[in-house]
Amino acid sequence: MKTCRILLFSLLALATSLPLLATVDDALSFALEAMTPYVKEGFTTREDTWGGDLPAGTSKAISQQLFKGNEYWFTMGSDVKGATISVHVYDREGNLVEAEAWQRDTFAGALVKPKRTGSYFLIVKIEKSPLERTPWGLVYAYR
Amino acid sequence: MADRFINQSLMNKLFFGAFALVATIPFGAPLSSAAEIPPAKIDLKAFPATEVDDVVVPVPSEVFNALDKLGTVAWRSELRQSFTKQRDGRPQIALLLGSVIADGFLAVQAQDGERVKEIGRSVLELARDINVREVVLAHCNSIIEAADRRDWKMVRKELDSTQQDVRRAMDQLKDQELSQLVSIGGWIRGTEALTALVLRDFSADRAELLSQPQLVGLFGRQLDGMSPRMKGHTLVGKIRAGLGEARPLINQDAAISKTTVERLNVITRGLVKAISPGDS
Repeated sequence: MKTCRILLFSLLALATSLPLLATVDDALSFALEAMTPYVKEGFTTREDTWGGDLPAGTSKAISQQLFKGNEYWFTMGSDVKGATISVHVYDREGNLVEAEAWQRDTFAGALVKPKRTGSYFLIVKIEKSPLERTPWGLVYAYR
Repeated sequence: MADRFINQSLMNKLFFGAFALVATIPFGAPLSSAAEIPPAKIDLKAFPATEVDDVVVPVPSEVFNALDKLGTVAWRSELRQSFTKQRDGRPQIALLLGSVIADGFLAVQAQDGERVKEIGRSVLELARDINVREVVLAHCNSIIEAADRRDWKMVRKELDSTQQDVRRAMDQLKDQELSQLVSIGGWIRGTEALTALVLRDFSADRAELLSQPQLVGLFGRQLDGMSPRMKGHTLVGKIRAGLGEARPLINQDAAISKTTVERLNVITRGLVKAISPGDS
């Protein structure tokens, strides 16, 4: 009987931990989907991705090495209905450097054609959301 | 929940599910009217240190791709024709595995299908030696098949997947240090090839591709944070010393001179030889 209880609690603990994990994964799958048109244009998607969750109205900086001569698309996604998200790219002096950007509810993207090789900062933001913390995923591709 | 890097291979199933949900959404639409216009300038210091994630290590093909756009590049000249059979513990195998994968990207640039296939087989051997053969088996088969079709984009994709899956497997085995060494080995070999190619036809634009202080800093922090046992490994000690020497050369705002590139080439060539003694 004791073994059954431990097993039951273990299963419950596992079950309660799954939904949030799944939503970050879902957010990433949305980010990947947003990348699809650019892959058709010859961009190669990287296997390394970023993901997490943030409260509404907050942002996060991610530093990334980019090479002059390449073009980079960054696409972000979330699976939370009613959320609005954004991603923008800045150089290390804090200047907005993206050549193009778009935002549509739970999807966002930014295109960068770096003028210099070096470190850049991706600012991801949950603009608004019905949830306390909103899972997000970010992927990038280069050409 | 802590933010995290996530491996894309896990996402494949979800990807197709999501496709059905969002296939009708017009991506690439201009900034929507409801969107906030981003500020033209921000103060990066406003983001606390804990809010800045570590850099993702670019695969060698990112920098090779950029170099390719700067004129003709003698990719074949930098391809190694064979890899050492010597094994000196898991740290050496992890570093060697990263460096061989980097050679795979180089062979793709050279469009050398036979070499790509040989590298695919070498990756499989090394993965077996480090107990992650099953993780890379499908990728290595895909690399060989894609090389036969001369589908270079697919080969690049599979090489990236191979590296990520090996690292993920090591992370799951609580071997984060080995996982980091795979990336470090790849970066060292990629930088050795890059410096040699830049020196063949030097220009400031080509040399600028070596401006990667963030990456060298990241590797330095990773090596400094390794266990005393790992830091005590002779080869890891050499890597640590070599990257310590390279760091001030790369960590500069000024243009990278030919002398600096030559020095970086000597350092990285020495490290590649230490990782893979007896290569040709």
